[in-house]
Amino acid sequence: MFKELDPILHSQLRLAIMSLLIGVKEAEFIFLKEKTNATAGNLSVQINKLKDAGYLEVLKQFHNNYPQTICKISPNGIKAFEMYVKALQSYMNPGGNL
Amino acid sequence: MKKSENFSPEESLQLIQTMIAKTQKDMGENSKHFLLWGWVTFAACIGQFILKHLLQYQKHYFVWLLVFPAAIVSIYLGITEEKKQRVRSYIGDSMKNLWLGMGISYFVLSMILTRLGWNTNIFPFFILLYGLGTFVSGMFLHFRPMVLGGLAAWVLAITAGYFNYDYQMLFGAAAILVSYIIPAYMLQSKNKVAKQ
Repeated sequence: MFKELDPILHSQLRLAIMSLLIGVKEAEFIFLKEKTNATAGNLSVQINKLKDAGYLEVLKQFHNNYPQTICKISPNGIKAFEMYVKALQSYMNPGGNL
Repeated sequence: MKKSENFSPEESLQLIQTMIAKTQKDMGENSKHFLLWGWVTFAACIGQFILKHLLQYQKHYFVWLLVFPAAIVSIYLGITEEKKQRVRSYIGDSMKNLWLGMGISYFVLSMILTRLGWNTNIFPFFILLYGLGTFVSGMFLHFRPMVLGGLAAWVLAITAGYFNYDYQMLFGAAAILVSYIIPAYMLQSKNKVAKQ
């Protein structure tokens, strides 16, 4: 049985962001931009979508007089990511369905 | 990156794996601290042995004053690394907490020995701590040479107890070599290969 893929996560850049954050405590915007090769504008839009969905926590602060944005996956985000991966696995192992 | 949702489950899983791999901590960073403390401790152990056993110099323990400039360099390295850090990993935080605890333990042990006397057979206790720190670090980093180095240090700690104070310093030097120095160079080398 194929499970529905979460449309919030089923987007390359949003999935990349969540995948980067799933294994760390928190990461700066610059780190995410560097690893995803996304533009700052596009990355910002996708981070806001994930934040609005409750999957990310975003902290904006100043560090050495420079603005700093730190992202962290939320408990809801972790659950959603786990469910997404399980749903993907249902596509990979359809259980005999062809 | 495309905004399109038209990518397959296989591509999704591949993307997840690729991104997770990118967050693997730069293990090479840790090697600097192991090399700094490794070489300082190794030099102090060998230096103290030479001064005490070979030259019969009374104030042989003064070599351990090397610890103070090493601590300053270590703190400086830590601060500069913290400034450059763009991501906080669970392993990174665990390593910091472990070595903070280890540093405090070395200090506490020194205070205890200042009360009980430094002329007793004290080196096995320090070697025990060398083993603890490197064994746990190796487990955090999933780096087997450091885990094995830690285990070897524990064996050396037990064996050192059968020898007198002077030769225990050589066991200390050997323990530092196998648990700190050699694994640190291997870690550095592994990191260089991974970056290529």
